[in-house]
Amino acid sequence: MVNQIFYVITVPMVYLAVAWCLVGIAVKVARVVKAPAHPFTLKVFPDKDHPVPSAVWGALSMPTVRRHNPTLWVFLILFHLGVVLLILAHLDLMPWFNIYPADSPNMIGNGAVGVVVTAAILYFLLRRFASPLREISVPADYLLLFLLFCIAMSGDIISWANSWSENGFVLTKQDFGGYLNGLFHFSWDDPAATIDGGHYVVLVTHVFLANLFLMVLPFSKIMHTFFAIPLNKLRRG
Amino acid sequence: MDAKLKKELIQTFSERLSQAAKMYLENCSRCGLCIEACHAYASSPETRYTAVARAQNIRRIYEEYFKKGKIAKKLNEAVEFSDHWMEKVYETAYTCTGCRRCMTYCPFGIDTGVIQGIAKMLLITADMEPKTLEMLADMSIAKGKTIEKTKENFATAAKNLEKEVLERWRSEGGEEVVPLDVQDANVLYVALAGKHSIIPAAAIMNAAGEKWSLSYFEAVNFGAFVGNPAKTKEIAGRIIDEAKRLNIKEVVICECGTAYRVMKHMTGEKPFGVITLVELIARYLEQGRIKLDKSKLPGKVTYHDPCQIARQGGIYEEPRYVLNHLTDHFVEMTPNRQANWCCGGGGGLVAMGEKDFRMKSAKVKAEQVKATGAEVLCTACENCHTQLSDLNEHYGLGVKVEYLSDLTAKALVQD
Ligand code: HEM
Ligand code: SF4
Ligand code: SF4
Repeated sequence: MVNQIFYVITVPMVYLAVAWCLVGIAVKVARVVKAPAHPFTLKVFPDKDHPVPSAVWGALSMPTVRRHNPTLWVFLILFHLGVVLLILAHLDLMPWFNIYPADSPNMIGNGAVGVVVTAAILYFLLRRFASPLREISVPADYLLLFLLFCIAMSGDIISWANSWSENGFVLTKQDFGGYLNGLFHFSWDDPAATIDGGHYVVLVTHVFLANLFLMVLPFSKIMHTFFAIPLNKLRRG
Repeated sequence: MDAKLKKELIQTFSERLSQAAKMYLENCSRCGLCIEACHAYASSPETRYTAVARAQNIRRIYEEYFKKGKIAKKLNEAVEFSDHWMEKVYETAYTCTGCRRCMTYCPFGIDTGVIQGIAKMLLITADMEPKTLEMLADMSIAKGKTIEKTKENFATAAKNLEKEVLERWRSEGGEEVVPLDVQDANVLYVALAGKHSIIPAAAIMNAAGEKWSLSYFEAVNFGAFVGNPAKTKEIAGRIIDEAKRLNIKEVVICECGTAYRVMKHMTGEKPFGVITLVELIARYLEQGRIKLDKSKLPGKVTYHDPCQIARQGGIYEEPRYVLNHLTDHFVEMTPNRQANWCCGGGGGLVAMGEKDFRMKSAKVKAEQVKATGAEVLCTACENCHTQLSDLNEHYGLGVKVEYLSDLTAKALVQD
């Protein structure tokens, strides 16, 4: 029974979550695109000579946060860069995507990226408990950060605790690579057949939470991934 | 609240959902960066006076009617329309001045002015808008319809101003002192009801030898204050029609920030230019068409950037250019330009009265003025002028609050 649940989580649910996420994003973006343009300009003066590059730069480097809350800015930059690196690191698990050498047991960053991201999430979460941020936060804000924290923690356990056993790595980059590659090629193989040991349950937890995250993403404020630049463009004219 | 009104409110809300409005409502991360941006919160630190709290009042309705999912609604604290909640909507609309300072703090650039616009429209639908503003807007529209009958009275009133204009600038050519209905004029000057808005401008334009015409209509747009786009357009439309009829090159808006923003940015393409009086004065100085005597303005002078022409219009350097021709003792307030604190009187608050709230929410402004040590506080907006004068009295700032145009007219050199 447990094995069957684990299989559902690690294979069919991943497909469902990814499909759900992509369709959700497409629908959400389409709804905004279809709405009428605002009837008048929303730019703030002095206006920029090159609105598009300055909107892109403004969204990615967050100068207003740097100016008004430097601590938050440091964590935000670390967090977002970390997320980009983690996406790359997950792709790098695949046998045909070699940023780190194919025979390395580690992910990109040797687990450090995950720790930085976890720390940043913890900071985002804790600061929400302090006034006045507490008064303006809604339950979804805490839950989203808590979910992210759990994903990051389970990821950290996989990449760190993994190497603490006496025999070295329990699960290696190659093991995960086999699993992801199987998913990528729709082999429908049960990863439990190749990945084994006490850490398997942590991996299943990590995948389950990540599936959840992908499924709530289109309905969450993480949609700012797609709107941060267009939003900044409005302000730039 | 009955079901019919709820339906109407949902309809009103949906009509306001532009791309920008949707993105603003869906992407706030409640990071709290905008909290410190608002003068009302900085003066009186209550959460409800933050940009994000005001926006949440509207966003939570949006979650209820425009998003799906029972759990998601709970987690985002969705609320239904109710009499109680409409009080919150009122707070969003009328404790915010639409200064858009918070927009310069937000990482996404969320414009609380747009969200306030939704709040104001909901209030109109629920018949809860401030009746003073609605009445003033309707009066402006009525005046547009009966203008032919009142033209004669207006001409007489304009004639009565001549003496005072001539005290500032004695023209020789025998041309009209306050000209009306001038076909093909370079400038159609749109003033406010009140001679303080006409006399200095008339003297300055006469001194520059401008071919100008005084508009029959007052610049102020109460439609914009009450947040009714149809009325805003109708009120501005009277002036646009007049400018077209006279084949005007440029419409010059008096010292009224909202009137300028509406005419310049909110009423589409027009066959004429739109500038502020301040820009016109700066141009005359640059072209050497007028000269100013610095001895007329003794003491330290500071300048308040009106949000609607500065952050919303980019008119930062022209007033400073004019001031540098008026005095050698100009001091900036801190912060200034884009980061200047709002005076606390915008968004219709001055026209509505609301003195207690205006004084309470603009303490930072008073402190900022005080810190300059200036004797003269100059600005270029009627609303700001009224609010700053009230602050001056309330907080005992001991400054003289002046219009830039008036200072200019008083310093004109007649040679
Ligand atoms: C182009 C891509 C992206 C841009 C420009 C961007 C921009 C931003 C900005 C400006 C903030 C500041 C708001 C705040 O302090 O809360 C922010 C916060 C955040 N972003 Fe992103 N982001 C992007 C992608 C992502 C992605 C892919 C994730 C996925 C995990 C993400 C997760 C978060 C989280 C969790 C926060 C903090 C929310 C909080 O404090 O509660 N972002 N992002
Ligand atoms: S627009 Fe101005 S008054 Fe309104 S919330 Fe923003 S800073 Fe405050
Ligand atoms: S700064 Fe912007 S994103 Fe942050 S809470 Fe304010 S409106 Fe929301």
